[in-house]
Amino acid sequence: MKLLNLSEQLGLVSYRNQAKSEIKPHIIVDTDICNTTCPHKCTTWVCPANCYTMDDAGKVHFQVEDCIECGTCMYACDQGAVDWNYPDPEIGRGVTWNFG
Amino acid sequence: MEDKFDCIVIGAGVAGLAAAMTLARNNMKFLLIEKGEFAGAKNVSGGVLWGSDLNKLVPNYWEEEDGGWERYINHRRLTFMDEESTFSLDFKSKHFNETPYTGVVVLRSKFDNWLAGKVQEAIDASDFAMDSFIATDIKVDEVIMENDKAVGIKTGEDEFHADSVIIAEGVNNLLTRQVGLQDKYVPADHMLTGIKEIIRFDQKVLEDRFQLNGLSGMSNEFVGWATNGIEGGGFLYTNRDTISLGLVLGLKDLREKQQKPYDVLNHFKQHPTIADAIKGGEIVEYSAHVVSSGDSRVMPKELYKDGILLVGEAANLLMNAGKAIQGMDYAMRSGILAAETIVEAKAKGDYTSSTLKEYRTKMDDSYVMKDIKGFQDAVHLLHTDTMQQKVPNLVCDFGRQFFTIKNEPTPKSEKMLLGAIKRHSSLWELAKLGFKARKSL
Repeated sequence: MKLLNLSEQLGLVSYRNQAKSEIKPHIIVDTDICNTTCPHKCTTWVCPANCYTMDDAGKVHFQVEDCIECGTCMYACDQGAVDWNYPDPEIGRGVTWNFG
Repeated sequence: MEDKFDCIVIGAGVAGLAAAMTLARNNMKFLLIEKGEFAGAKNVSGGVLWGSDLNKLVPNYWEEEDGGWERYINHRRLTFMDEESTFSLDFKSKHFNETPYTGVVVLRSKFDNWLAGKVQEAIDASDFAMDSFIATDIKVDEVIMENDKAVGIKTGEDEFHADSVIIAEGVNNLLTRQVGLQDKYVPADHMLTGIKEIIRFDQKVLEDRFQLNGLSGMSNEFVGWATNGIEGGGFLYTNRDTISLGLVLGLKDLREKQQKPYDVLNHFKQHPTIADAIKGGEIVEYSAHVVSSGDSRVMPKELYKDGILLVGEAANLLMNAGKAIQGMDYAMRSGILAAETIVEAKAKGDYTSSTLKEYRTKMDDSYVMKDIKGFQDAVHLLHTDTMQQKVPNLVCDFGRQFFTIKNEPTPKSEKMLLGAIKRHSSLWELAKLGFKARKSL
């Protein structure tokens, strides 16, 4: 069976409010904390949607668009950098599972 | 909806729906709030719902033509895996075909929605047919506290009031933390992330491949090479015309060994045994859900406070002690027990801790807390490197020798076993393991 890469896997996810250009991010990450005091940058390894990435210089970046609301980063971050919430049903992004 | 409710249940997952069903059956006036478009829209599980509590909520659910569940389990398999081989404990029995079934595979988007329909039927048959509600697409921002007692919930500008609140919000337990029942930071070392693909087949192909008969199904757990050295394990469950294939991976190990969950999943899928099992399938969904290892250290300090009860994964009620990954059954039982406690509280007219602590007693007396307490050592044992890596390698090494016929003089099995033990572990290490396993399992 053909293996899928992550973007192909995420392409199968049904996101809400996809047509809206302006969405309210449901997770706010203070990447200053990630890039100054965080000793482990755990989120960049554990996020199943790769919303947290580390660039070649070792700097952490975050994007909320691919988030599938699994909660992994909420538990992984013990540095106070991740302000996690569920997406607003009206103006947030977020998922509706077809199978779940 | 201006009037006060007896209870507001936050979250229409298994725990919240079990609570709501019990409240409806006991003629309570309640509001069940769900943030997704429908019950189940945001829920993900492995997932097998173990045990027979579903029959309490929906009696004779199996008689329904197209119930919300996928297949009942009559075939169980635990597989040890090394790079080339798999060695399985395999148990299939006719006695599992008897109802009530002892495990059903579910896909939550369908199952929870179906169960919510049953709850609505119970509401319609209750004294509060016009006053109890299931409300979807509403995100609860806050539990309203007055004098440290819950009196309702806030969503946007709206407030709803109730004598009690059952928090069934799931593992991402923001409200549980808000009301102070769980610390702001939970030790991530005892948390794992579960990732899963739903893979579709022609139903006939699926049934032939996994030897399914009617609605019978198989559950298969994997330990060893599956996780590429990361603490955790794999699973494969058969649905109607899809399989749920996934991994549960420790956050600490992913971080320390610098691996990404989706890469490990593709690694797992390339194992020859898995590749054969999924050949010709089409991936139709990729999902994820953070889970507790079952270590009691991530559980909240308490399951109740004035006006509040905590159920299901909001309380991190989940455990894998080697026999099965249990979570939805804990959710269901805790939801039922919480709702029963609310019914008693209403009868007494007292929703403070002095009544609600009964929920804790009911939980402690139930198999949920007895198992979680009784199998803590097993949880720790399963997450050791010996159990995760050495034992699977040893078992597969032995299997390869035992099942290989070479037209040469065959060594005795004991010699093969001793050789495998020496290559992957030691007699002393296994003796220690056996001693611990005897006590803990």
